[in-house]
Amino acid sequence: MYSKPLPPAPTRKSQYGVDPSLVQKRGAELSNITHVPLSELIPDQPSVIYPSARGLAAVRSETEAALAKVDMSMISEGKTVNILASHHGFTFLGGEPYAEMLRTIKDVVAQRTKAKEVRLRAGLGMRFRETEEYIKAFKLDEYFNGKAQGMAPIDAGIPIETSLGTLYGLKRAYDADFIIHAHNSDVREVHFHRQVDRAVKPFGMSYARCETRSTYHMNLGPRAANFVARAIFESPFVQSKFAFAAFMIMSPAGAVTVDADNDLYAINDRTTVGGMKNYGKIIHLFGAVDDCIVILDFPCPVPYVFASGVIYANMVGANIDLFDLDNPLPPYTWYTETYYREGGQPLIPDIPPVNPAIKAVVHNYAWVGYPAVFFAEHTPTIVVGQEQAELFNRDPMNLNYMKHALLADNLDAAMAFAYRTTGTDKVMIFDGASGGLNVSHSLADLLRRVAPGVNEKVDKVLLPKWLAQRDIDVQLLDQVA
Amino acid sequence: MKTVKVQAKVNQELCTGCRTCERVCPVYAAELVKEDKGFHVEIDPSLCVGCWNCEQRCPEHAIAMVACEPFDISTDVSLYDYGQIKELCRKARFHPKQLVCYCTATRAEELAAAILGGAASPEALVRATGVGSGCGIECNQTILRFLEAAGVAWERKKGSYQWMGRTMTNWEVPAEVKQKYAGFRFDSDREIMDRIVQAPVEP
Repeated sequence: MYSKPLPPAPTRKSQYGVDPSLVQKRGAELSNITHVPLSELIPDQPSVIYPSARGLAAVRSETEAALAKVDMSMISEGKTVNILASHHGFTFLGGEPYAEMLRTIKDVVAQRTKAKEVRLRAGLGMRFRETEEYIKAFKLDEYFNGKAQGMAPIDAGIPIETSLGTLYGLKRAYDADFIIHAHNSDVREVHFHRQVDRAVKPFGMSYARCETRSTYHMNLGPRAANFVARAIFESPFVQSKFAFAAFMIMSPAGAVTVDADNDLYAINDRTTVGGMKNYGKIIHLFGAVDDCIVILDFPCPVPYVFASGVIYANMVGANIDLFDLDNPLPPYTWYTETYYREGGQPLIPDIPPVNPAIKAVVHNYAWVGYPAVFFAEHTPTIVVGQEQAELFNRDPMNLNYMKHALLADNLDAAMAFAYRTTGTDKVMIFDGASGGLNVSHSLADLLRRVAPGVNEKVDKVLLPKWLAQRDIDVQLLDQVA
Repeated sequence: MKTVKVQAKVNQELCTGCRTCERVCPVYAAELVKEDKGFHVEIDPSLCVGCWNCEQRCPEHAIAMVACEPFDISTDVSLYDYGQIKELCRKARFHPKQLVCYCTATRAEELAAAILGGAASPEALVRATGVGSGCGIECNQTILRFLEAAGVAWERKKGSYQWMGRTMTNWEVPAEVKQKYAGFRFDSDREIMDRIVQAPVEP
């Protein structure tokens, strides 16, 4: 007997995706789809506070408890404070938990300090109005008394002198006396950050100008790039403003707790360990899939659609160990992408291929606003719906996406074609379902069969190696949720 | 190559003259024109590369992207001496066939050709190749590295937010930084980047 699929994350009205009314069928509604609970695949997952019966109250109380241990004495009367947020947090679990953490930080800071103003500054990736949409959806502008703003990497910048020379931050991020770094711990772009300074990264991204982001993705190399954020964070300018950090600690199953500290590197060590511990197994389980059809079905751009807390970009690279720093180039990063010739041959032979287990991608619902041509170039892709294709054709980052993708009228037609041409009946759906994975019966069988072996390998072989590569004490494993 | 399918159009009724569009435009196509009684914003269609920056950042939502007669932006590499192209690419530390803009599929050789053809500023390179007119983020340093490698001196337009400056590459990271932060594997990554730069032009 196979259980019913989990409800997928709802579609979201946004200028970056087709109107939700056009998404006529979700992947989870297909026949032969079931769900595998994460607790069954990975029994030692930590328990979650959200989703849970306690609802958002759990997020508030965990945030309050975490902040109780933080020193805020530096924020004296009349000072201004920017709570720095990022768009990523709003993509978890519908976005409300992260919004509630931000509201709680604001309330606690206002209550404990005599700050003149506590503002929200929400950075973003490449969709320059995305956080404006979240601010509106979660009524954060009202909550912050009209002081909530999105900030884009092309907005006014500010030079920051660092050990890497001059880098550039966003002026609006730093236009207060103090900053609070409010982020989340999911591994997300492990193909980029490689679980090195994960907690520091927004200083080189969400809070940074395009010059700095380009430095990360073009100038330093796939692993060295992660030093950009540390260079900015350690600059005298940023240190003069940094008050503390608060992180929503995530696992593939949901929000585990909230962590806060005046020492960002202490949080960084904990999130590094927690991320490897909680996400290492599911990502390696993805790597054990021998062949499958992937369905993209979540309100985010192509590489950022979620399945069991893991983004599709990690499935694209799951044929190698993304946590192993001895692997210099993941199958997908922006360095890797630049290292292919026009005809698709790599410039040097040791460029790892895109995960060959992905036999086809059915793009049922995913947003524009991220250069996604690479994915359509390397994997057969079928886009559902003319409107979605047109959206990509208009998007300046995806003008060539449909040159490499096929178009189907509807999801059933796309799946029929994918089944016929790939010969596999295994299906993995990236739809943001909470607490488990929506997959075909055949893939559920495979995952259940291989999970114990994957878990054992991660625990006994890989985790100790990953920790040693990052010079982190293995004993921290027992102290981190 | 960039095929421009849409261009920016200002709704003058909504425009407050805040100049945000001027400041975020990578090719300086937007300009606030003062008049006797007020102002209006002009977006020059001969310059606009359809990047959406102004539409996305206008605080009044006064700019729309409207369909235009599609046209291509590119530089024909075959018109220039490939030896010079290779030399400039290597000096900027790129392989000529390396992708340098994910959004427009522009390759390093085309940036070099555009510079050899006279593009002498970041905005001129955008106009000549389309590079930098997609996400507007990731190829920023590539553009500035090429101009510097070619010895081109350029000036940033006063008031613009764009093109703040070139930043450090792996080849320039101070030894003490590499030593102190060895875990970031600067040298190992540099070795890969060097191999890319030195790879044969033809497979």
